[in-house]
Parts: sequence; C-alpha cells; structure tokens
Amino acid sequence: MMDDSIAAPIAEYIAGAILKNPKRAIKPDEPLISSGLIDSFHLVDLGLFVEDKFGVRIDDSELNADTFDTLDQLVALIRSRR
Amino acid sequence: MLATETSPPAAAGRLALAQAPARNLALFAASVLALYALQPAMPIRQMDFWLPTASLALTVIVWAATSSAFATRRQPDRATLTDAAFIGGIVLGIAALRFVEPLSALITRTSPPAVLSVLAALAITALLAVAAGRIIGPRSAWTTALVIALVALLFALKYEPLTQAFAALLRVTQGQSAAQASSLDVRWLGFSYICFRLIAALRERASSRLPTVSLREFVTYAVFAPALIAGPIDRPDRFLKDLRAPFAFNWPDATEGARRIAIGAFKKFVLADWLALLALNEVNATQAQGAGWMWLLVYAYAWRIYFDFGGYTDIAIGVARIFGVRLPENFNRPYLKPNLTQFWNSWHMSLAQWFRAYYFNPLARALRTRAWATPAIIFVGQVTTMLLIGVWHGVTLNFALWGLWHGAGLFLHNRWADFAKARLTSSQERPHLQRATNAAGALLTFHFVALGWVWFALPDVALSLDVFRKLFGL
Amino acid sequence: MTLDARIALRIAAKALVLFAALNLVFALTDPVPALGRLSLYNALWPGRARLPYGDDPARAYNLSLFDLNTMFASHELAGAPKRTDEYRVLLIGDSATWGWLQRNEDTLAGQLNAMRLKTADGRAVRAYNLGYPIMSLTKDLLVLSRAVAYQPDLVVWLVTLESFPADKQLAHPVVQHNAEAVRALIAEHRLRSRPDDPALLAPTFLQRTLVGQRRALADWLRLQTYGALWAATRIDQHIPETYEPAQRDLDADESFKGLMPPTLPKDALAFDVLDAGIRTAADAGARVLVVNEPILVSTGRNSDVRYNFFYPRWAYDQYRALLRDHLELRRVDYFDAWNLVPQEEFTNSAVHLTPAGSRMLAQALAAVIAGRG
Repeated sequence: MMDDSIAAPIAEYIAGAILKNPKRAIKPDEPLISSGLIDSFHLVDLGLFVEDKFGVRIDDSELNADTFDTLDQLVALIRSRR
Repeated sequence: MLATETSPPAAAGRLALAQAPARNLALFAASVLALYALQPAMPIRQMDFWLPTASLALTVIVWAATSSAFATRRQPDRATLTDAAFIGGIVLGIAALRFVEPLSALITRTSPPAVLSVLAALAITALLAVAAGRIIGPRSAWTTALVIALVALLFALKYEPLTQAFAALLRVTQGQSAAQASSLDVRWLGFSYICFRLIAALRERASSRLPTVSLREFVTYAVFAPALIAGPIDRPDRFLKDLRAPFAFNWPDATEGARRIAIGAFKKFVLADWLALLALNEVNATQAQGAGWMWLLVYAYAWRIYFDFGGYTDIAIGVARIFGVRLPENFNRPYLKPNLTQFWNSWHMSLAQWFRAYYFNPLARALRTRAWATPAIIFVGQVTTMLLIGVWHGVTLNFALWGLWHGAGLFLHNRWADFAKARLTSSQERPHLQRATNAAGALLTFHFVALGWVWFALPDVALSLDVFRKLFGL
Repeated sequence: MTLDARIALRIAAKALVLFAALNLVFALTDPVPALGRLSLYNALWPGRARLPYGDDPARAYNLSLFDLNTMFASHELAGAPKRTDEYRVLLIGDSATWGWLQRNEDTLAGQLNAMRLKTADGRAVRAYNLGYPIMSLTKDLLVLSRAVAYQPDLVVWLVTLESFPADKQLAHPVVQHNAEAVRALIAEHRLRSRPDDPALLAPTFLQRTLVGQRRALADWLRLQTYGALWAATRIDQHIPETYEPAQRDLDADESFKGLMPPTLPKDALAFDVLDAGIRTAADAGARVLVVNEPILVSTGRNSDVRYNFFYPRWAYDQYRALLRDHLELRRVDYFDAWNLVPQEEFTNSAVHLTPAGSRMLAQALAAVIAGRG
C-alpha cells in the first residue's frame, strides 16, 4: 500500500533535487541506495528533507540500505514514527 | 510422508525457546575464551593475557556507561551481577590454569599472571564500570568523551611512535627493559574492530537508539568470536535482534553456513595464498622490470587482498550462520561495480557503513545546516572520510595517500555523475549502451582501485612512485 | 530424522564418495609426471637458466622439487630447438656448476655464453646449465640420462671427489624420490648400487593418492606461479650481501668419509656411475669432457694435512691419480682444473667460486671446448 501524501513529495524530491530529472518516475519498490541511485551525500539531504517535511527524525546511523532501500520502505518508516 | 518428517511448528517453537538460552550462553563463553585463545604471544611478558583482559574491561566499562542499570537504582540487578560474576569467573579460571601448567597452553600462549593481580584487575574494572555507570550513564555528553578516549587509544595503537611508547610503558610495568620496546610488541588482537563496535554502541546510546542490553549480550556483541579477528562490524541493534530471536539448530542454516565456510576457505587458503606468491610487495616492487610484469604484480595484489579478506569474511559469516546469527555482508562483488561510489558500497561494507553512520552523515548534516555549498560539503566529507578509513589501517603516509586517492576519486565521480545526470540523456531506455558503459566503468573502476593498492601495499611513497613510473613506462 | 537432515547427510555422503574416488583414480594413474610435462615456462614465462632449486621461495622465486619432468620442462633447454649452426654444450655438475651465490650471468654457463665462442667449423657454442646442488654422480647420471634427449654436441661433466663415494650415491632426496628412474639406471648400466636399497623410496598406496601427493601438486603449481616473478625479476636465487666464508683454518684430521691413509680404495668410489654417464653421452652421439672441478687449496692452519674442509691431501691426491688413469685408459677427454683458481676466489665452500673464479674456469675450458668443436 502506497501512501501518496507521503510518497508523492518524496518521489518528486528524489527525481527533481537529487536525480536532476523531474520527469523521472520513482517506482515504489525500486532500490534507491543499494543501486547507487542516491549517493551518501544526497542521502543526508533526503534525511533532512524528510525531517523538514514530515517532522520525523531519521538518525545518521539509519541512513543506509538496511533501514530503507525503497520508497515503500521509507514511507513505512515515516508512518511508523509519526 | 513429508508432513510427518518435519516437526510441527509448535514443537519447533518450544525447541527454539529451549535452545536459545543455551546457544547464547555458549556463544558468550566461547567468545570470551576465543579472545584469549586467538591472541598471539608478544615479547612483553603476560601481554597475551592482559590485552584480552583489557578488551573485556573496556567492553564492560562501555556497557556500564551505556546502560541504565546504574542510573536508575543504587544496586545493579541480579542478572548483571550474575553476568559479571560469570565473566570474572572465566577470566579467573583462565588465570588459574597456571597451576596446571600444561593445560594453560590450551588458552593462553604463555603462562598467565598471578591470580592476585588478576583479582585486583577485576576489582578495578568493576569500580571503573560502576563509576562509568553512575557518572557517564545519564549524561550523553560524557559518552562523547568516552568515544574520544577510545579513538585516542586506537590512534596510539596505529601510530608507530606512540605504539612504541606504549610498548615501553607496558615493558616497565612488567619489569622489562624499555629500551627494547618496539611498535611490533603490541599486537592487540581484534582491537580495531572491538573499538568500533564500542563506539557504535556509545553513539547509538547518545542518540537514544541503543536498546536495553544485558552485560552478557553486550560482551557477546563486542567480542563475538567469528567476527573477532577481522569483522564484519555489526550494528548493536541488528546483532541483538538475532541473539534474541528463537533459535533451534537447523540443517538449512547449518548447510548454508558450511557452504559459506567452504567457499571462504577456498578463497582464503587456496586463491589468496596462491596469489600471495605473485602479489606486489616491498621486495618484488624494486626487483621487477618492465611495465607488463609490474601490472601483473599489481593485479595479483588486488585479487589477493579481495580473496583474503572476502574469504575470511565468508568464514566468519558461515560460522555465525550455523549458530543463527546473520552477520552483515562485507563484500558484494566490488570489482564488478561500474563506478567508485558503488565500489565503496560493496567493499568492506560494514566499515564503510560505520564511517558513514558515525562520521560522514553527522558531518554532512552539520555542514548542510551551516549552508555550505554542496560541492564543498561533498569534497570535505568524502576526502576526510576516506582519509580516516586510510589511517585506520595504520597512521602512515602511504595509508593516508591511499585514503586521499579514494576520497579524490569519490569526489570526482560524484561531480561527474552530477554533471552527467543533468546533461546526458538517460541510458535506461537503451540497454545495450547501458551495458557497454557499465562494463567500461567497471574496468576503469577496477584499475583505479588496483592502482590505489600501490599506495596501500608498499611502506613508503618513493617506492610507490617508482612502481607508478614502471607501470606507465615513464 | 528430518528431511533437511537427510539432505545434508546425502550431500556429505556424496562429497565423501567423490573425494574417495578422486583419490583412488589419482593413486592408480599417478598423473604427476604427466602433469610435469605441462609447463608455463617456455610458453607464458621464459625458461629458467638453471634447474629449479631453493628453500627460500619468497625471496628466490624458486624451490626444490623432485619431479624431473617438471624440472626439465621449466628449463630453457626445453624451449630451445637446436639451430643448425649451434654447438650445444650441456654442463652437468653440482652446486658449483649450478652457481651457488652466483647470478646466472656469473655461472660457468653464463660466462661461456658471454664469450660467444665459435667452433673450428663456425658453429656458435651455446652452453646450458644443468648443474644441480647435490654431490652425487648418480644424481648427475639421472640428469644426464634425460639431458641427452636435447641433442648435445658436447657434455661437460664437472666432478669432484665428494660426488664419488659409492656408499653415498643414493643419500639425496632428489635421487630417493626418483626411485624408479634410478632403479632403471642401475639395471641398465649394472651399477653397484642395489635396486632394493631402502634409500630408494617406495611410496605406499596412501602416499600415491591425491592427499598423499598434495605436496608434489602444490610444488608444481608454485613453480609455475613463480615463473611470473622469474620473468619479472630474473631472480632465481637469494644472494645475501654477506656469507660465512669457506673454512681456511682446518682440523688436523686425516680421515675422508671414514677412510684413513695410506690407500684410497678405488672400489670405494663410484667409477661405475662415471662410466655409465660417459656411455650414455657417447650413445647419444655427444662428445664427453670430464672436468675435475677447482677446489679451494688453503694455506691456513693444518693445510699440510688437508686442502680444505672436504679433502685431506692424501685422499684427494690419490683420487686425482685414479681419475686420470681411469679416463686415460678409456680415452675420455679430461681436464683437471683442481688448482686453477686461487683460494681468494672461493665463496662459502671449498668448491663454490666467485664470478671471477668462474671466469677463470670458463677461460680455461673455452680453449678446450672450441678447440674440439
């Protein structure tokens, strides 16, 4: 189940701000970190974005493919913390 | 037929609940014993006993500092006392083997020290642990001080002049001549890895993410026997999840573990040891003539270090798997990766992950909130991270240069990727082109890494430069 | 038992059966000599300039092994088809010929080749180093019996008394591990060594299995691998900066291998093996030149009793006379170089020469070799 109110802005942010390609569609189960799509620096950016937008803190040690690798997993993580 | 052959789930569950405590106790005791048994002897008397004991003492103190056991009540609970007594009992037991001389050789390389001094050491450890629990426990700022102390100790062990001074100090305590001290005197088995696990726990504690953990669980985590010598560096929460899950010996895990051990042994003892005959080293680097042969030595080194370390990791993961602990992977086909960023996502992954979690991410976050320009943050972040990973192997100019080599490479790749993704059309729709670029990228990345080993494998800069000159026929 | 346990046990049983079968096939077929013919030398790597020998592989990129096929296949001789204008000279001998503490260009073979000698009929002299650091005529015969396949025009056999004692002929690992070949030589040449001598190893069934032969296999693989470093560095011996010089001050001991003056009995020496070697070379159409190799003639303490650490004067003098008479009778070319090299030009033993010492020997032999071409 995809929660669009969370997923949509994140997908938009990843495509636009990180991948510099706003037309790029982010699939909910597409590996983002293990595939190298998001590098370690932009991962920190993504963490900051999530913090600003949803008020959910993702700790530095959680910014890795083990904690979340796909959009789906990130959405689930955010929901579990809200 | 099949249904009767497999145990019904309920019975398996009961079995698992029954086996987990026994397994955990065994892993704990075996890990403490292995800490002593695997420690090589040193020219300084009885250090093969004292250094493992120091590892244990540091672990216990860090546990106390991260535990709420002391902050909330005056007396430690019964479980903690039992665990502490258990650890003390094992250490005293090992020391007491000196009275049955031939048996002491089973655990320690040389005869253990007098029981009275061991008792004193245990008492001091207990006092320090209680103090750490009372003073540091509630104040997370103090955990930072403890992290700094651990990093300082690690630095001293990796920086030759300091190691030598440390050796001299240890020699004096043992009534030996300090003049004989050498940095090779102190070979503290697994300390780099133990230290990183302790720092991980302290950092997790500082961000309130460390679960409540018993002393016994914590010691098992920090000195876990399969991962003692060369990792991987697990995260505390992940390790505890496995330790606390129901466990029953089962054949699928055991055969998978055995398979990993066999693969690892083949990589390490056949491939790596064979390639070691050809691998670049201080001696053959000066002797080899001709660019082609020099490349061969460099290639051999690149594959040797991969098979050696990767094979060791396979064995560690395989052994742990048999006992139901799924250690994190450390290598994921690193030499086939199309760029350096992905290489570092698949080479010594647990170490890279550790540095990302406890160094790079906090740094990048801090610089981000100070509104540094993106390229500047990436440059400082990548280069300093890799520099630290470099000197973690030893504080020498060559290790530092190896780190800078990779830091610069990562930065360049990052900038290129940033440039490319904004300008070049996505090759996703053109799989042939994608495959071709990936192959070319992998070849380029492998050679960048292989040339990086020229810094890593040799002891001084002049020799490395000489090898580069020969490689390129200059 | 659960299904999983059965699967695990089945895998283990299959692995065990395969392992046993592999060992059995290995023991029955004895593939090591066949494997020995396979070599990366003279293909991927250049052939070695001398037979593999050494116990410091990490520094010398060389090691001692026992399979003669492997040893010969790694030698440059195996990769050098004989040219029509080549006058092929094979040097057979001990560590002095192999070149202990000498780089390849400094050995006798290296020095001879550097001279670019021509024979009277204009053929280019090309010397190959087939020395091997063991003092036994039977070992020399073993090497020679294989070397004649490489079409020598001349076999130069460098000998010294230490290689002659009949009762010491088989007391060397490379001889013992090639028991079958040595037994064949004993039978063919009716040598006095006994084919059932316990020194000649008879491997048990278990020693012939894959597990038993793992050392031989590993040696083969290591030798092939070190070829890369031989190619890269041209190093096949670790030559230390300093060494213990050969003894010049000697004990006042007259004995030689348990023999006392006045007489060195001829039958204590393996002249039968010498004859066999000469016959082998002659049968292959090669000329033979026997050289009594230079020894250190000391002027130190007790040098009136002994020439050096190896030889008391009385025994060595009688050996020289015996050898000269023996070869004269059989009309074999002989060159006695015993006192050709002054004592300063010896290194760590009474037979090991410095590069300058080797050059003196090469110059002396050059005239003999070229003159007879």
